[in-house]
Amino acid sequence: MSETILEIKHLSKNFGNHEVLKDIDFTVNKGDVTTVIGASGSGKSTLLRCINLLEIPTSGSIIFHGQDVTGRGIKPSVYRSKVGMVFQSFNLFSNMTVLKNCMIGQIKVLKRSPADAHRNAMKYLDKVGMSEYIKALPRQLSGGQKQRVAIARALAMEPEVLLFDEPTSALDPEMVGEVLDVMDKLAHEGTTMIVVTHEMAFARDVSNHVVYMNSGVICEHGTPGEIFGHPQKKETQDFLSRFRKG
Amino acid sequence: MNVFSKLGSDMVALWAKYGSVYLGGIGRTLGLAIIATFIGCLIGFLCGILTTIPCAKTDNAVKKFFLGLLRVIIRIYVEVFRGTPMILQAVFIFYGLPYFTSNAFKFTNLWAVAITVVSVNTGAYMAESVRGGIISVDPGQNEGAMAIGMTHWQTMINVILPQAFRNIIPQIGNNYIINVKDTSVMFIIGFSDFFAVHKGVAGATYLYFPSATIEMVGYLTLTLVASFLLRLLEKKIEGKSNYELVQKDALTPTAGNYTLKDKPKNPNKDEEGLK
Repeated sequence: MSETILEIKHLSKNFGNHEVLKDIDFTVNKGDVTTVIGASGSGKSTLLRCINLLEIPTSGSIIFHGQDVTGRGIKPSVYRSKVGMVFQSFNLFSNMTVLKNCMIGQIKVLKRSPADAHRNAMKYLDKVGMSEYIKALPRQLSGGQKQRVAIARALAMEPEVLLFDEPTSALDPEMVGEVLDVMDKLAHEGTTMIVVTHEMAFARDVSNHVVYMNSGVICEHGTPGEIFGHPQKKETQDFLSRFRKG
Repeated sequence: MNVFSKLGSDMVALWAKYGSVYLGGIGRTLGLAIIATFIGCLIGFLCGILTTIPCAKTDNAVKKFFLGLLRVIIRIYVEVFRGTPMILQAVFIFYGLPYFTSNAFKFTNLWAVAITVVSVNTGAYMAESVRGGIISVDPGQNEGAMAIGMTHWQTMINVILPQAFRNIIPQIGNNYIINVKDTSVMFIIGFSDFFAVHKGVAGATYLYFPSATIEMVGYLTLTLVASFLLRLLEKKIEGKSNYELVQKDALTPTAGNYTLKDKPKNPNKDEEGLK
């Protein structure tokens, strides 16, 4: 049994009267690759944003190494520096070069020296195959390149968990592969990841835990074999059958 | 044609006699406009930054109260100074202050009054421009910074403000150009800017239109130069449109990067030359 990093307990989120997440429970252990699948509007992205406290949960708790981060005990910024996030729309800092994007957090948040931050940034830019582009600005890169830099930026903070919010949904089809390859590599190196995705092949082949969400609740979860091989609930079967046809 | 040659010769004559007076006026106008625009921008940035401090429902009551109070004060400042003519503000500060305090407070330095009035005015306009510049930066930039653990102020200084500044350069240019022209209302307190010089010269020589033409050309030159310099600044901030690839392996130079300094002595042994 490996170390538990993150425990989500009875998490709910309302926007006004609209209940987006209802009583979500799940646990992430070190080295887990959890994929969250489900139709658009089922609350997948909101769940991920709640885990990173970009949205404040209405009720429930998020336990990070035994400490509830929804309480006042820990500053959200300190917690977020340990939980990386990769966005659908990249969100690279458009006023900084690729290198500076990967260094700023290390220098300002982790208080590393510029030399250390530089070395570390290069290490992760190399890993995602973007070290040649350190002098480029985000607007000069393709979508796939931007997303790989965004992954390097998150990795450079050396987070304990890396969250991916539909990392390939804004990409042209020919660029999806390069980003998925990087994620595949990270998964095999033992990075703990939670991935919200529509890439069923990634969920089936790379992750070891699949969560299927439907209208704000976890409808079914289990190993990829269980979810894709023998889905128990009718909703899951319906959802997956759409992908088989397509 | 006769009119124009007459105008030309009058202008030359005026310039020959009063050139240094005009230049002095231009100098004061330019000085006032530059200093006041600069201070106005600082005020504007301060107000813009203060009004965009996020206030979450979960924050404590004291913080909420002070943020609310701050917003109200800035709101009143902006509305009052945007909503009244600068000429009257100058009157109120220069003549009104001694009047209301029975001479306990009064400005004796015209520059101090002029700079104060124009700066505070520019600040009121810039406060809204800066706020607009800040909220027009893609919210994703803020989320990206929050996601790597940056605080509000770290995000502001490193990510949002540099982009907001780029967005509002045209506004700063606008305000500067308005200031170059509108500082002429400072004649009301006796500040002798470029336009005040014209009134003096025209009064002494009765050459009203030749002097006015000199003024027109002078003001247009000041504003055109400012527009040109701001364009240059914008381009510089925009950065290069291309970028260099950085070679991972220093031993495999890109094509054309390597030149032999000397011709190899033995052309049959090229390898030696590459050492």
